[in-house]
Amino acid sequence: MRANPDARGLLQIAASTFRSDVLPHVAPEARFAALMVANALDIAEREFKGLDAAGHSMLDALALLYGEDADDALSGDELRRRVEALQHRLCIEIAAGDFDQDGQDVLMDSLEAIVEARLGISNPKALGQQ
Amino acid sequence: MHVVKASDQFPPSLLSGDNRVRLESWLATQAGASRVTVTEDGRLGGGAISLNLAVTLDIVGGPLAGRHACVLRAEGGGRISASIGKLREFVVLRAAFAAGVMAPEPLIACDDPAVLGHDFYIMRRVEGLGAGHAVTRSEAAQPELARELGRQLGLLHRITPETEGLDRLGDAPDCPAQETLAQYRRWFGDLARRDPVIAWGLRWMEVNAPLPGAVVLCHRDFRTGNYLVKDGALAAILDWEFAGFSDPMEDLGWFCARSWRFRRLDREAGGIADRADFYAGYEETSGRRVDPARVAYWETAAYLRWAAIAVEQGLRHSSDAEPSLELALTGRMLPEIEMDMLRHLRAIGGMAAAGMAPGAVEKVA
Repeated sequence: MRANPDARGLLQIAASTFRSDVLPHVAPEARFAALMVANALDIAEREFKGLDAAGHSMLDALALLYGEDADDALSGDELRRRVEALQHRLCIEIAAGDFDQDGQDVLMDSLEAIVEARLGISNPKALGQQ
Repeated sequence: MHVVKASDQFPPSLLSGDNRVRLESWLATQAGASRVTVTEDGRLGGGAISLNLAVTLDIVGGPLAGRHACVLRAEGGGRISASIGKLREFVVLRAAFAAGVMAPEPLIACDDPAVLGHDFYIMRRVEGLGAGHAVTRSEAAQPELARELGRQLGLLHRITPETEGLDRLGDAPDCPAQETLAQYRRWFGDLARRDPVIAWGLRWMEVNAPLPGAVVLCHRDFRTGNYLVKDGALAAILDWEFAGFSDPMEDLGWFCARSWRFRRLDREAGGIADRADFYAGYEETSGRRVDPARVAYWETAAYLRWAAIAVEQGLRHSSDAEPSLELALTGRMLPEIEMDMLRHLRAIGGMAAAGMAPGAVEKVA
């Protein structure tokens, strides 16, 4: 049975309360640790909210290379396993030299999109930098 | 690395009770003094692996008689793959200082576990601003600081494997690029078969590996955040715990990597100035020209090295070896580091075609 609010809801309100009501009053010597706590809560919250969306973005990115394997209906562990399987396949092909001569532009686009999907969870601020 | 703050981890017992007495007695013997008093002035940040403690030594008698502001740097529990250990670090620091590099003067090292339980050494304390965000806050570029850092690196790179006193560092690599690649493969292990960005970085390094050239003593963590600035001028170069023999261009690539530009991504030399300023200083003292293609190669290597260290730091937390929020968050920096590497590869023209002349990443120049 699912409690209400659920883990995601609790995390969300804990993170925003920490930022608004706790962080401004933290002593200077504890500020670094407090900022890390806020950062960790934010990452966890984004992961709760956006893991499947990130998985689909990664699948779309890999579809640039392996179109036939993209599948919008997947979610949760199934989605994760599909992404992992395709990433593994890509690693093997890269290491074998399949992209040494051709296909580097598509590969770079794909790799960037994969990393952008993961950055969206771990550090969205880094997405805008050049 | 500024990954782990020593201040978070320093065991409070290191200089308490018997430890202090043993240290004072050991120091008195080593310094030929009649008495040494050690006063603890607080913990210092900086250094991923080491424990840094500010101390004042009051020495009575002997050649070092007087009061000395120092740092005691001890082996911590969290040594990672790239670390060389405190005694080797001492040897490196001594060689660098002797070569005229602005490193803190190393005074004494100890490998007797009966004294403090860890290897440690003591060096003179240098005052200054170190944090990368603070150093790169300046509105104006700091070309003279970059040039001076280049000069210092050039001086360091005059030290070769033949220099006396460096036996402890082991053999110099015949081909730094190949040895580095093999090391990265060991460090990444299975991740190179799961993460295509890492796989691509390793493949790129393999195909573009430059032929062996000069091999010198490299700092291997020479970057903004690891030097001290006072009144706008360089005061000291710190954090020698990853030093070793390698291609001199490795240190230049590391210094210019995006990861260490902090507030100023546009200032490619450590977030403080243009590459040209840094390179010019380097050429003044090193006796060699900067090879931009090789620097670009080693900048790719820098992202992979930093990625491997971040992964290892994250695992130190996840494996329960050393539960720490900072280590956990460092592990989550991997995508950021990978994005920096992809941007670098885009900037230099992506993957060089197979069969191109080794080291010829022409577009960067």
